[in-house]
Amino acid sequence: MVEKGNAKLFLRKILPKVFKATLLAVIAYLPMYFLSALISPLQPLFPWYEPLTNIFAAVFIFFLVVGVFFSGTVFQYVFGVARMLVLMIFFIYVLNGGIINLTVPVEGESINIMLNVTVVLAMLVLICLLGIAKNVIQAIDFMSGKAETKEM
Amino acid sequence: MKYAVRALGWATKIFWIFIIAFSATSVYSAMNVRMSFGEPQLSLSNEILVISIPLFINNSGFYDLSELNITVDVMDYNGSLVLTSTTFVPLIPRDSSVETMHNVSMSLDDIISKAEIYLFNDTIFNLDMSMKLNFARVVPFQVSMNKTIPWGAPLYNFSVGGISYDYHNVTHQRVIIPLSFENHSPYFGVDGTMHIEMYNDGGEVIASGTSSLDVPSNSKYEGQVELIVDVLKLTPSGEMHFYFETSMFSFGPVVMSYG
Repeated sequence: MVEKGNAKLFLRKILPKVFKATLLAVIAYLPMYFLSALISPLQPLFPWYEPLTNIFAAVFIFFLVVGVFFSGTVFQYVFGVARMLVLMIFFIYVLNGGIINLTVPVEGESINIMLNVTVVLAMLVLICLLGIAKNVIQAIDFMSGKAETKEM
Repeated sequence: MKYAVRALGWATKIFWIFIIAFSATSVYSAMNVRMSFGEPQLSLSNEILVISIPLFINNSGFYDLSELNITVDVMDYNGSLVLTSTTFVPLIPRDSSVETMHNVSMSLDDIISKAEIYLFNDTIFNLDMSMKLNFARVVPFQVSMNKTIPWGAPLYNFSVGGISYDYHNVTHQRVIIPLSFENHSPYFGVDGTMHIEMYNDGGEVIASGTSSLDVPSNSKYEGQVELIVDVLKLTPSGEMHFYFETSMFSFGPVVMSYG
């Protein structure tokens, strides 16, 4: 009877998290999938893009899912910080540190294209830093709230 | 704490919206920039030959283009600059068109001093082209291209064969001068005239004549020119001066000694 109740409680707690984690993973994966589909015709110009994008996507989704499963604990925020760090490294890597150099072969000649997107990268990094700051503040808030509850 | 978290959340959302909007409008704007070149015009001032190429830029995007700089440099085989050209447009506002001239300048002194090398020797030219601009004032963009252009000499291996002399009359002799060269130029044929002056060892002109030339690209010329020379003025050695007058170039004298 007790075991049945525990199983019910477990399902009631875990199932919504599984559902939420799946939904978030799908939502997080969709932009990456569409970006890959959009870039695939230009794949020869971005040879570095495809292999590591999938790894970054996998790591990002892993931290997202783990964060959902650990929601209600301080680890939720720890994984949130890790997720934002992964995203920040991903942006720095994909945008080649802000300077994108491409070599496009045109009629036997190679044309070099250089795009300086440092400003855009700075904004993306700023977004990630804001995300990290938000998670840190939430973690501090969570811990202080817990300490207050203990004292009472 | 809650307010700080909320503020950070809003700031993040606003930044995301801004970046997505900027990226989308940037791509759209970049696709709406049109650039074209018009008919080149030639002008000459202070011994500098200037080829002006009209440049039209139509920016119908959302953002300004600034500091557009187009540079073309042509260097010869030893890296010395044959010609250079730069066009700078400080600003192309959005929803506007700009018409400017891209000037390619060449020093006539340089052309004349190096003409002999380019007419008689195959070589290569290195072409460096680059275009820089500032997109929306925050995204510098550069396209560059390096190309090697082979140059085929139109009078490659120009040489005079063994001169032979024939009896013409009591006072004059017929001088037969065999000539040969190869037109290695892939761009133009050598069509026009070649004027020859023959000098004796005293520096006196003893004969002259003109021969027509019609040598297509990548073909060889082998011919002979006959001159009538006064026997009394003819010396065993001397010089021959060749002057070329073709549709593409005029050059001379090319001095070659005989005897």
